[in-house]
Amino acid sequence: MSKTSVIYDKFERHSHGEGLKGHATHYCPGCGHGLAHKFLAEAIDALGIQDRTVAVSPVGCSVFLYYYFDVGNTQAAHGRAPVVALGHKFANPESVVISYQGDGDLASIGLAETVATAQLGAPITVIFINNAIYGMTGGQMAPTTLMGQSSSTSPSGRNEYNGQPMKMAELIAGLDGPVYVERVALFDAKQRIKAKKAIQKAIKLQVEGRGYSFIEVLAECPTHLKMTPEETEKWVKECMEPVYPLGVKKDLTVEPWFHRNAPCFKGEKILALTGASTEHPERFCKGFPTGLDLNDVSLKLAGSGGDGAQTAAMLIARAAISEGFDATHIPSYGPESRGGTSYADVHVAETEVLNPGSPDPQILLAFNAPSLAKFGPTVRKGGYVIYDSSVVTEAPVLDPSIKVFPVPFTGIATDLGKAVVKNIVALGALQAATNIFPKDTFLGAIRVALKDKCALIPLNEEAFNWGIKSVEALDQ
Amino acid sequence: MALKERPKPFLLPDYCKGCGRCLDACAKDCITLSDQINPMTGLVPVELDLTDCNACGMCMDACPEPYGLRPAHEGVIEDFELEDPAKLFGVKPSEAPEPTDIPNETLPLPRTEPLVIKGTYASAVGAILAGCRHVYGYPITPSTEGAELMAKFLPKLDGTFIQAVSEVAAVNMMYGTAGAGLPTMTFTSSPGFSLMLEGVSYMIGAELPGVFVDVMRGGPGLGNIAPEQSDIKLACHGLGHGNTQAITLAPSTSQEMLDLTILAFELSFKYRNPVILLGDGYLGQMTGKVQLPETMIKPGIPKWAVYGDAMHRKNLISSIFLTESDLEAHNHHLNAKYEAMKVEARAESFLCDDAEVVLIACNTPARTAKGAVQDLRNQGIKAGLFRPITLWPFPVEELKAAIHGAERIVVVEASAGQLEDEVRLALSKAGVRQFPELENVRRMGGVLPQQSEIMTRVLGRKEVLA
Repeated sequence: MSKTSVIYDKFERHSHGEGLKGHATHYCPGCGHGLAHKFLAEAIDALGIQDRTVAVSPVGCSVFLYYYFDVGNTQAAHGRAPVVALGHKFANPESVVISYQGDGDLASIGLAETVATAQLGAPITVIFINNAIYGMTGGQMAPTTLMGQSSSTSPSGRNEYNGQPMKMAELIAGLDGPVYVERVALFDAKQRIKAKKAIQKAIKLQVEGRGYSFIEVLAECPTHLKMTPEETEKWVKECMEPVYPLGVKKDLTVEPWFHRNAPCFKGEKILALTGASTEHPERFCKGFPTGLDLNDVSLKLAGSGGDGAQTAAMLIARAAISEGFDATHIPSYGPESRGGTSYADVHVAETEVLNPGSPDPQILLAFNAPSLAKFGPTVRKGGYVIYDSSVVTEAPVLDPSIKVFPVPFTGIATDLGKAVVKNIVALGALQAATNIFPKDTFLGAIRVALKDKCALIPLNEEAFNWGIKSVEALDQ
Repeated sequence: MALKERPKPFLLPDYCKGCGRCLDACAKDCITLSDQINPMTGLVPVELDLTDCNACGMCMDACPEPYGLRPAHEGVIEDFELEDPAKLFGVKPSEAPEPTDIPNETLPLPRTEPLVIKGTYASAVGAILAGCRHVYGYPITPSTEGAELMAKFLPKLDGTFIQAVSEVAAVNMMYGTAGAGLPTMTFTSSPGFSLMLEGVSYMIGAELPGVFVDVMRGGPGLGNIAPEQSDIKLACHGLGHGNTQAITLAPSTSQEMLDLTILAFELSFKYRNPVILLGDGYLGQMTGKVQLPETMIKPGIPKWAVYGDAMHRKNLISSIFLTESDLEAHNHHLNAKYEAMKVEARAESFLCDDAEVVLIACNTPARTAKGAVQDLRNQGIKAGLFRPITLWPFPVEELKAAIHGAERIVVVEASAGQLEDEVRLALSKAGVRQFPELENVRRMGGVLPQQSEIMTRVLGRKEVLA
């Protein structure tokens, strides 16, 4: 067997393709890459997939794989070839994507990508050339260098300080993602036949959509092993093979799983996902709230995580925007997923919120004592403070121009049988205390927010009304 | 198959590197190493004596060279001409067709009511409307919700969201999908963006489009998750190694998180270059009013893509140019492209026409500054705001117009002067020597400049206190 149709007739990309370079590979005499390339090309030919193949070449001697393969070619960064391959595969599931990598690339710098991609199991094929040394950079120690083997960075032989050689085929076969893992060699005719078959099988499994396949090829690097090609073949057989036993490490028969529909570009579906509506919401405001700031109302909601400050803040923003105003909500909380502090800055503006932060709010909704103590003094003169009198027993002294509304958010919510609605009680109190929007604006926003949990609407409406009643009771 | 049908091997000594792999393979000892160095290659090729050859083909199977030992019918040894291999083989044109563009389609969307969503969501929705169905990411606050929304939406649109093993993997998945010619993006935040820079450099080198939404947070190192404008320098001057530039957009509202994401995809494909959307921690998490556009894009496949089909078989995606002159030519080409990108400079000038004090700010600090401008105007101070929307290329012509007649310039930013450096560099490159001394309001560590601080800076402390 010789050149296949997958190998270019002239290597035009090879240093301008002139002279010998137009027809000879750049690999050293005796290098295993040439054979691995031939087997790969023959497999692509035999499977009839030349027009579907994307070959991903790594950093290393075989970075120039694209000189030789008349298929779609991509060159990846060092170690990143398997994830580049995934990017191609997901872009076009019909394509056959082959990541061709050396040992420094695959087993060292790209180990995370290698293992994660194998475990993902998507049908790509990885051809792993293991020659026990770094080739392109000039013969340094690879993760696969044998114990005792000398290299330019293990001059007196690899020892315990460098760790043991990486057995990639076994490692990959130990994962659940791959369907087929085999280690092959090139050192004699028998092994070459096996190698050729293994590569073809691995790609065939991908063509059938069955899953991730991995072929480790024990290859010769006469230049950096500092041996003749013949000696290198012998060395691979006698020294490498005992450490890296040949053969099938994993071969699962699985049903093809990788089927993807073409991506959807239906406008209605996208709008439904985003929740965008073509219907105008009902409006209840006659104009921008008077009695508050002229064109921009600044609020702060503060409490502990779980108090519902962020949800309440969002409802205020939604209510404002449904009325045709502009609004913003900035959440702020500690690194804790739950508990900790939780603040929200909210602005409602007639046309455009300029500065969305609320360092000196006009309205403060405080859900606990520390929040009231922290933000109470920042409230502007003439502003409003509404706080949970169920948990705040002693309110700080605030500027006398500030209107203060102690409302038992938690007490009311608990009496209603659901402590989590205390933020809705707070919104009711906000409505009654400030008249920022009509009651129906809030109720509308609550109904929209609970449209998928309709059963909760009556409870929330009741909580909201209790908030209003509590403030009205304070006035009397 | 009868053995006699098999061809015997032939060899052009020039294409033999003399590795000798065929020697072992031949059971009839037909092949020996020559003792003559080939003058063309400096190597010692093998010699064939085919007297005993039974055409078993094992030697050809052992030969690592595609043009090494071949069946005799592939060449006629007498025709061998030492100097010019092309004369021997002729130049056979590739059978692959010339790649062509499959253009994008613009599809109509009905007019909808504004959404009330946070900045990262707005950006994610923008990406979907720009035709992006392939998103790769790694969770990092405060950008995470963008990725989470993609994880929720994309499977329903038969798209792909993959949570990568790391940012490094994420950007390289983008490299693959972008190489296939499709729109792709990621959501990240400062420490994650740092990790992606290797891939960004490769994408720029290989001329691949892609959108990076970097929701900036406090640095250096792990810093914190609060907003800072810590990556302006990185985006404008430090995109990995080499000669790299990318259009960098700086939104300041939720609406712009959507609009500029859509623009980012458009520019990214127009120039075959990554585009960066630099938000900040507040913009990522801030909820606001977002109006959707009335069209969306269904992407085609550009002619340069390696899609994995017959049409695009000829193509190569690569950033390697080993010959110095080739790389220099490539870098000249990239530089010409960067120069062409300068027409994309964009800015907003707010009340700058008669402004005596011009504030310069971008992202969330620009909104704080806008609030301050309004306050100052209410107090009778002629203040204005210049807001660069592209940080690279810097909108220097717009800046010149905005500061024309200004007596004072105050740069407001959440960093130690990264934006101010951009302003100085832009003015310097534009040959502007005469401008008021730059004053500044700077906060860091997740603390944003406050409106009161800007007022203090402009009015002087005494007046503010009074």
